[in-house]
Order: sequence, then C-alpha cells, then structure tokens
Amino acid sequence: MRAGAISGRPSRDRERSGTAARRIDDSSWAFLLAGILMAMNAERDGRIPQDRLRNFSIIAHIDHGKTTLSDRLLELTHTIDARQMTSQVLDSMDLEREKGITIKARAVRLEYQAADGLTYGLNLIDTPGHVDFSYEVSRSLQACEGAILVVDATQGIEAQTLANVHMALRQNLTIIPVLNKIDLPSAQTDVVIEELESVLAIPREEVLLASAKDGTGVLEILEAIVARVPPPKGDPEAPVEGLIFDSHYDAYKGVVVYVRLAQGTLRQHDIIRLMGSGAEAELLELGFFRPQLVPVSELRAGDVGYVATGLKSVRDAQVGDTVTTLPRPAAHPLPGYQPAKTLVFAGIYPVVGADYPVLRDAMEKLHLNDASFSFEPESSVALGFGFRCGFLGLLHMEIVQERLEREFGQELIASAPSVEYRVVLINNQGLVTVDNPSKMPNAGEIEEIQEPWVKLSVVSPSNFIGTLMELATNRRGSFLGMEYLDPQRVLLTFELPLGEVIVDFYDQLKSRTQGYASMDYEEAGYRAANLVKVDVLVAGEPVDALSVIVHRDRAQPVGRELVHRLRGLIPRQMFEIAIQAAIGSTVIARESVAAMRKNVLAKCYGGDISRKKKLLEKQKEGKQRMKRVGSVEIPQEAFLAVLRMDDV
Amino acid sequence: MSKPRPPVALYLHLPFCLARCPYCDFVVYAGGDARGPRARTEHLYAAVARELELRADALDGRFGRPDVGGPREPLRSVYFGGGTPSLVPVEWLERLLAVVRDRYGVVSDAEVTLEANPGPEERGDPAAFRRVGFTRISFGAQSLDEGELRRLGRRHSPDDVAAAVAGARAAGIGSVNLDLLYDVPGQSLAAWETTLQAALALRPDHLSLYALTLDDPDAEGITGREGDHLPTPPGARRWRERARLEQDEDRAADQYGLATDLLAAEGWRGYEISNWSRPGHESRHNLAYWERRPYEAVGPGAHAFDGVVRRWNAATKDPYIAALLPAQGAAAEPPGGRETITPETATSERIILALRLDVGVPAAWADRSPLADSREWAESAGLLESMEVGGEARLRLTLRGRLLSNELFARLV
Repeated sequence: MRAGAISGRPSRDRERSGTAARRIDDSSWAFLLAGILMAMNAERDGRIPQDRLRNFSIIAHIDHGKTTLSDRLLELTHTIDARQMTSQVLDSMDLEREKGITIKARAVRLEYQAADGLTYGLNLIDTPGHVDFSYEVSRSLQACEGAILVVDATQGIEAQTLANVHMALRQNLTIIPVLNKIDLPSAQTDVVIEELESVLAIPREEVLLASAKDGTGVLEILEAIVARVPPPKGDPEAPVEGLIFDSHYDAYKGVVVYVRLAQGTLRQHDIIRLMGSGAEAELLELGFFRPQLVPVSELRAGDVGYVATGLKSVRDAQVGDTVTTLPRPAAHPLPGYQPAKTLVFAGIYPVVGADYPVLRDAMEKLHLNDASFSFEPESSVALGFGFRCGFLGLLHMEIVQERLEREFGQELIASAPSVEYRVVLINNQGLVTVDNPSKMPNAGEIEEIQEPWVKLSVVSPSNFIGTLMELATNRRGSFLGMEYLDPQRVLLTFELPLGEVIVDFYDQLKSRTQGYASMDYEEAGYRAANLVKVDVLVAGEPVDALSVIVHRDRAQPVGRELVHRLRGLIPRQMFEIAIQAAIGSTVIARESVAAMRKNVLAKCYGGDISRKKKLLEKQKEGKQRMKRVGSVEIPQEAFLAVLRMDDV
Repeated sequence: MSKPRPPVALYLHLPFCLARCPYCDFVVYAGGDARGPRARTEHLYAAVARELELRADALDGRFGRPDVGGPREPLRSVYFGGGTPSLVPVEWLERLLAVVRDRYGVVSDAEVTLEANPGPEERGDPAAFRRVGFTRISFGAQSLDEGELRRLGRRHSPDDVAAAVAGARAAGIGSVNLDLLYDVPGQSLAAWETTLQAALALRPDHLSLYALTLDDPDAEGITGREGDHLPTPPGARRWRERARLEQDEDRAADQYGLATDLLAAEGWRGYEISNWSRPGHESRHNLAYWERRPYEAVGPGAHAFDGVVRRWNAATKDPYIAALLPAQGAAAEPPGGRETITPETATSERIILALRLDVGVPAAWADRSPLADSREWAESAGLLESMEVGGEARLRLTLRGRLLSNELFARLV
C-alpha cells in the first residue's frame, strides 16, 4: 500500500524545476530574472539563512501570561493581524480556551525584522503550563536553543516556574527572564527580581520588564531573542535528522508530525523513514506554522515545521522518533524522549453498552493526537465493556474524557482514578502491578502492597504554612523542608503518596490558601503501605467499579461514606437491598434500601389507554437501561453520581 | 387479527369547570375560558352534538344503524365526563342525550353517568338529571377533610358532599359514586381512615380511590398542537413540584391497604385496582375500558377505540369547534390522532387491562408470551396468585401485586 503510493504518483514538481534549471543555463538574462524570482520566493517561503533562525519556548507558571505574550509576539511580527486576532490564538482547542490553559504544545513561525534591519525567523514552541504536562514541556524544550521565562510580577516564582527553569537549564538553554504584568498596581518588581536572583541565580540586569497585555517591553523581548538565543547548528547538506516533538492526525493528510530538523534538508516527495518504527512514506507536504499550516518547498537544518506523512497510524510516527530520508539515511537516530509516564489510571466506559465499538474508534483517533494516554480493553460487571486508561495526571484525565465526549460525541462514565500499585505476593510468587482496585489480589495472597510516592513542592505565602502542613499530614505526607523565597513566601517540600495527591489535593491546596499556593511534583519511588481494598457489595454482589484502595485507617469512614451515598441513589426495588462495604469478607459498613411498596397507575379514566401504555413503556425502557448487579437493577446515574462525587 | 367492532359504550367530554384544580390533567377550561361569550360554551356543546352525528354517520356506514337488528347493538353505557358536566345547562344535556338515543340507541337498563362537583353552585339539579335520563352521578368529592380540600384547591366542603349525595338520593338517582384521593400532602393514615368512614356514612354505591398522581403531561409530549392534553399552567406546575415532595410511597401503600381491608369488611367488592362498589354497582362503563370493549367518544381530548384503532381528538377547543361548526361548508372531523393496535400490542393490552380487575385473567393466558415469560417471576415475587372461578383456573394480582402492578405491566408491554 505504502510502496504503491510512492511509485504510483509522478513527481511533477521535480520535473518542472529541472526544466527551469536548463533555461537558466540558456541565458544570463533568464539567470538574473530567476535570481530575482528566487529571492522573492525565499522571502515568501521564509527561507531565512540558518544564522538568522531562533528556536525558543516560553515557560511560565499557569496564568502568568504566557499565552498573552505569545499572542502579542504574533501580532507584533504581523504573523496574525490584529483584526484576525482572537485572544489566545495558540490555544486552538475549545477546551484550552475554556480552561484558560495550554494543553498541547504548539509551534508557530514568526518573521521579525530586527533593529539591525535583518529579518529573522523565530520559531516559537508553546508549552503547557500545568504540572500534568511537564513531560510535554521537556519535549518542546528539546527542540529549542532558548526559553523565555515569564514570571508574573504580582505573584513571583511559583512551583512550576522552578520545575520548568530547572528543566531548561538541564538542556543548556539560554534563558531570557521576563517579568510580566508590570502595569498592575500590585506588581512587586523589585521583590520578584530579588527572588529570581536569590532562588534561580538569574542576574538582575538580564531581567526584562514587560506587560504582555498592553505591549510594554515586547519589542525588547524580540530583540533579546535575536541577540541572546544562539542560532541552531546543523548542516543542511548532511543526511536528514529530524526530531518529532509532537504530532496530530489529519483526516486528509494522515499523521502530521512536528519536527525540529537537526541536520539535512527535507523536500516534498522525499521518501522519509522513521528510524524508530521503520515506517517509510512519501513526504506529502511540508511547511511552517504561521500558525496555520503553510506549505513550503523545503525545511532545512535548524527549521521547525510540519511534515505530512500520509501514514494512518500514529504508532508509525511516534513523538520522539527521528525522521530521515532515503536513499541517504542518517547513521543514528537523535536521542529521543522517555515515553510519557502515566501516573493516574481509570476505567472509561460508554453509557450505552452498544457504543463500545464507537468508543474504541474514538480512543484510537484521540490517541493519534495525544499519545501520552494509554488505553486497553477491560470489562466491569457494573459498567460493561470499556477501557482501562492511563493518564499523566488528573487534569489530563479530565481533558481526555472531555475531548472524547466532545470531539467524538460520546457520553462516558469514568471510574474513580487510581494509581499503579505494586503487590508483592506471598511465598515468593513475585510481584504484580495493579492499576484497577478491583483487580487487587485477595488479602490472603498479599505479602505487601507498595504505592508510588512523590516529592511535592509547594510555593505559598508564608501565612499558610500551618494549613499546608496540616493538609500534607492528613494525606500521610512527611515534611522535607522549607525555604524562604522572600520574607513573605516559602517553598515547602513534602513527600506524599501519589494516591493522596491525585484525588483533590490541588483543589484543597487552592482553597486553603485562597488560591495563592502553587504546586509541582516529581516521582519519588515506591514504598510499602498499609493499604486495603474496600469493596462495595449490593445484595451480596461486589460492584467492581466502586472498589477503592485506601489506607487501613481510613477504610471504615470511606466504606461508610460509599455505602451511604449509594443507598441514596439506588431506587427501591421489589425486595430490601443490603448495601455493604467490606474488606475481604469482613463487613465494615452496612445500610439498606427498603423494598418498594407502590408503583401503580391509579387512574384509568376516560379510556386514554395510549397514555398509560406509553408510561409503562417508559418504565420498561428505564429498566432496560439499568445495570444489573446480581438481582438488583442500578441506574447508570447512580454509579455516575458516586464516581463523580468528591474525594471519599 | 381482530376486526373493528361497533361501540358498546360512549364517552362525551364536556371540558368546562369553575376553577382548575392544580393536580388535574384532564382537558379542562376554567375561569374566563368557561364563562362569558369568549368561552363559547354554547358553540362547544353544539360542536359536540355535531360530532355525535358525524361519528354516528360513520358507524352507520361501517356497521349499519343500531335499530335494524344488525351487528350494531344499542349502547350499554353512556358517560358524561369532564370538566364538570353538572355545569352544563340541562337543556343541552337533554339535547345531547336525545342525539345519542336517536343515533346510537341506548339499552333500556343502560348506565348513564354524569360527573358532578359537590359544591352548591356546581352540582346542578339532580332531579332534572334524573328526568333527562341519567342513572348514575359520580361526585368529585376527593376528600371529606376540610383542610385537605383546601390544600387540594377544591371549592367545596365536606358538608357539600353530604348534601350532594342526599340530593341525588332524594331525586332517585340509582347509583352514586364518590371519587376520593389518597397520598395527599399532609394526609395521615388516620385522616384517610376518617375520610373513608365519612364517605361510607353517606352510603354511596361506588368509590373510586385514586392515589394523587402528579404527572407532567408536557414532559410526556402530549400537550402539543395535536396533543390530547393541555399544557400545565405554571401555577399548577409549581403546586405539583411542592406537593410531590410531600408524597410518600410507604404512606400511600398503607392507605391503600387500609382501604382494601376496611371496604372488604363492609362487604364491598374491590373489583378493579382503584374501584370498589357494593355488589351490583360496578361501573359498567369503566368495565368496558378494562375489558377492552369498543367505545365511541366525542369532545376535546376524548379517546375512542373500535377494537383495532385507538383514536383521539386534540385537546384545544377552538380548532375543535372550528372543524365541526365551520362558517361555511360541511362539518369535518376535528383534529386529533390515531394508532392502529398490532396483534402483539393487543395481547399485552388485554392482559394488562384485565389484570386490573379482581377476576384477573384465565390461567391459560399464561401459556403464551408475554405473560408466560413473567408468570413465575410475578408469583415468586408475590404479585400474582392462582384462584378458581366456576371451575376455571385464573390468575389475579395480590394486594401487593396491585400496589406494584407497574412492575409486572412494564414487563408485559
């Protein structure tokens, strides 16, 4: 199929350029004209010499103005004129605009005529600002030589600022520190400059002051990019080496990969090979992000652009893979990326069982655009057939679920999120990993359960230290240290079980600090824990989707709460229904739903039989939509409501 | 496949009331829509008379006239429902009955019912009703507790009910029914017993005991332009939302159980889920519905059935009047809808309707689907029991089965 596509399509462009070349030889007049045309083409194609290319990212804590600054850069370089400017151009997903966050990295090429009179090609690679997506940040940074660090002058350094700066420094990027929002009366310019210097060792004279909102200092930022960020290295004549830093799926063009070209030159109709997967294809189209995809005839070493491969499976063109061309492939692939690590797991199920195949298609398609979530089929007694999915974090989970529901028109149920446990079995039977509480082995077979821990950094005004300590302690955390960023703000570090962080820790953190604290975390290995699985039983039958793994000390209150909630959601049925929470065979909480006593159409009047029949049919449909657990009919909404409730 | 059959019963819907009760779903025009020239009450009565003739013409064409000894037998029951038909001028009742007798035929011992409200300004003149041919009056008493009547938005008092029954008796009305409601907000089990005892003390012949049912016809999609119900006014909607919160399934079940025991002890027969009578006073007209006999029907929102097709008129009165009393040209059938009953639906309807009755269904019906599939479940759940009537094995609902009848019926539709 792929070979057919390659040989079957004549390469007209190459023939045409061959003819043009011969004519140039014929006459010096033609040669001159061609020279002018080429220069114009160069301008139109943005074929700017390599030493005038700058590849950079913007890193910032969420809400510090990264997106506004990007918009301003686009406007000032006339990449988008003010008339077309919708706020947050780069956040093109509806979800991103709604939530005011960047989820997917995005790239755009700006052309900027600098103070020296020369035109520079600036490739801006946008980065997500949320802790769940630090993996995407690291990928973006790997395609750059510089990073603009945006810090909110009214807020100062936040937890993610630290994490992102360290990431950029590890990759030897030039950092351009920018203090944003200096127009606000609450800006504490001097304090924050002090902070940058003392915490991140950034010399105060390097710091630029700006207001992305009103445009102050934005030209200075552009000049600093030109002056401070080194141009990309790489030989356009060498065999092609291009790093895939992102991709999306296009129904017409197939998998479109975003590449940073380290070596060589890519041209239309080149035969490309993906060195990791071994997949080969004819290069259908290539171009720049302006920010819409604008085709060009070639991409050269140092360029950032897109390549439409025509490949139908994202597995053939994974992020982190290296693009090269035949017949002269690169000798070695570029160092790729660590695969994204999924930390949070949940079951995702269609509301209507018959929609399972549709959901599978939707999952596969979404996975083409977001390879960082994982999915595999699973089935649940309560919820039917669905998928066990892994996510980078809770926000990522929420986003994947919403994108599935929105972009593919699927209504979904998600089970309670879980982390991945390691379970050591007795009698040296080895170790199993469990990302679904209902799959936990029986207590009798377990030697030890280990759970993932994280090192958590929290930046907060110092008057909230007490409440933050309490929050971390309540979540089984231990205090590691405290460092004053300035007299009013501290950096607190803790170690906590990840399972305690993923539920509603972030919300708690925000509400306890009136929104001032920020957090970031990194993995800190596995530790043994006194954990138990709490099952919920309805009329003696376990409801797998509601099993949870909790610390033994909290098993009782959690069990009681689950039972109590479910009791209020299961409609009365023909017989009394016992609802229990149990650890193994030990019942730790019990309530019951009384038997139904009356369900009758009292009136039968005026001969209107049709209406009665319709009401009965509606009851029948309602019953058919219910999920059966043993002899009990439970409305789907009951599971949904229990699963959607906040932390138990 | 069964064939269309001529009607044995006739329903007339006369939709005017003094006031609209907030729980009522029937096609009702009240207040300014029921009084004065704008209400066009006379037009509506004339239109009903016209529809009677039109439907009779059609029946004549299909089954022949009723007085020639063909398949078309005279009606065994006629029912004037509403609305408050006791508000209709006696002259109009007489005229309508005259058309019925002339065009449909009525057997000599027919049951001819008039619905009435008990209030002094609503209940009309029972002697006149008797004179023009009514044999039965059904009073919308609803309760015999002053407070409950107020909460239900009713205009009459318990004494009015007593006076109304006495008046009907004095006028020689042979059969008197009282409608009563249970599961009313604020109604205790004891209060319900008091109402029942007070009702029995009035010595009616028939009691219809309905659980207060607060539906949402708009949500059911039956209130559109061609719908057979009118939209629920906002005030009624709010009233229902509040009242629903004060309803209680357990209380309702206890109240139903209490009524069943109490009336059985008095020698009454609970011949249908919601209907009790002294022996011999079962409502022949309503039995026709449950026995799935064919019935004709006229008036806005009325439903008819010929054994194969269910037909209904739309609820709105002006289009109804406009079709039947055109400014020029011939009268046309009023707007409405119809539904042809498939044999499968007919089977399930027959079982569901018959199971509402105390005599239940022949046990042999459970040999076939759909009852065959649910019999064992229903018996083990205590909903259905076997009995014998005149040597025939039959199945009927238990007390629990009547209260939970929808659980079984929803498996049969």
